[in-house]
Amino acid sequence: MLNAIWVIMIFSGIVTGLITGRTKEVSEAILSSCSQAVNLTIVMLGAMCLWTGLMKVAEKAGIVDTLARLLRGVFRFLFPGIPKGHPANGAIAMSLSADLLGLGNAATPLGILAMKELSNINGNSPIASNAMVMFGVINAACIQLIPATILIIRQQAGSADPNSIIPCVWVASLVSTLTGIIAAKALERASKTPGCQGKGPGRHLI
Amino acid sequence: MAELLSNAAIPAVVFLIVVTAYIKGVPVFDTFVEGAKEGARTAFDILPVMVGILAGVAVLNGSGLIDIMTGLLQKPAQAAGIPGETLPLLLIRPFSGSASLGLFSEQIAKVGPDTFLGRALSTIMGSSETVLYTLAVYFGGAKVKNTRHAIAASLISSYTGMLAAIFICRIIE
Repeated sequence: MLNAIWVIMIFSGIVTGLITGRTKEVSEAILSSCSQAVNLTIVMLGAMCLWTGLMKVAEKAGIVDTLARLLRGVFRFLFPGIPKGHPANGAIAMSLSADLLGLGNAATPLGILAMKELSNINGNSPIASNAMVMFGVINAACIQLIPATILIIRQQAGSADPNSIIPCVWVASLVSTLTGIIAAKALERASKTPGCQGKGPGRHLI
Repeated sequence: MAELLSNAAIPAVVFLIVVTAYIKGVPVFDTFVEGAKEGARTAFDILPVMVGILAGVAVLNGSGLIDIMTGLLQKPAQAAGIPGETLPLLLIRPFSGSASLGLFSEQIAKVGPDTFLGRALSTIMGSSETVLYTLAVYFGGAKVKNTRHAIAASLISSYTGMLAAIFICRIIE
């Protein structure tokens, strides 16, 4: 699907640019986006090393297992097929906790790490498993307790009570997360490509 | 309180991990370096994915397509009870994080943060994520080519959440 979306974005953008005479803006934007991507990767490189390193330490110390055991019930429903005691359980738990606390710099590396663990269970197939899709959808639904950036912008815009939106954000996030879970479960069956259930080596990635 | 929580969270997590590991006799630093190496490799795996996604979004933003679509959808949206002012944000939010944040800051200054529109825009921003980027980076990091129904499910979730945001703000107005 990413293939189709990418073609649509590029095609419709360039055609619109030609019609509206904004070819200069389009060509500037496309070139500056490349350096923006490099900047983002460099920024993430450090955070990525830090969190994968700490996750390895946490795994060896048994913290990841403890966290995973606490969330076992929820995980059995959301991600069936993850073997008991597999590091993917802990990686997902850590990643979702970072999301919840709004630790943007930690959440992405931990999320990618969890995705790699899930891919490992899936035999490193190029086709996503049901669990991987579910994990991606939950992450993209943005469950966050304190939307810090938005509160700061509200304050700068002169809000008398910037925090007043927090309950609304919680309800809206909950709606979107639950809808995402339902949609992922429902589309699992409708999906043209069945989830690859190949047995991976179960190697510890981190 | 909110600030304290987000400021203290990272040091607390790092402290807990390192101290527990030390007590349990894990060779902490060696283990850390071993894990960090894996992270460096993953970050480079993501770079090509990032270039592709950001280039696509840049073309879309630069072309002015969002403005045209906002114009076209203005009437049907208003008929459905979606304020026209929220439309550009609704259109761009799942695709571009930087563009939606820029748009949000601009609009909130215009409509005022404590009005219905200001709160609706804030709630939309606070409760949603840059879906396309998140999924591309996560699946790219795991070298997955076929993401199956992930994007469809995420867009359904994202738009339901954003429309719920407008609805909630209208109720408590």
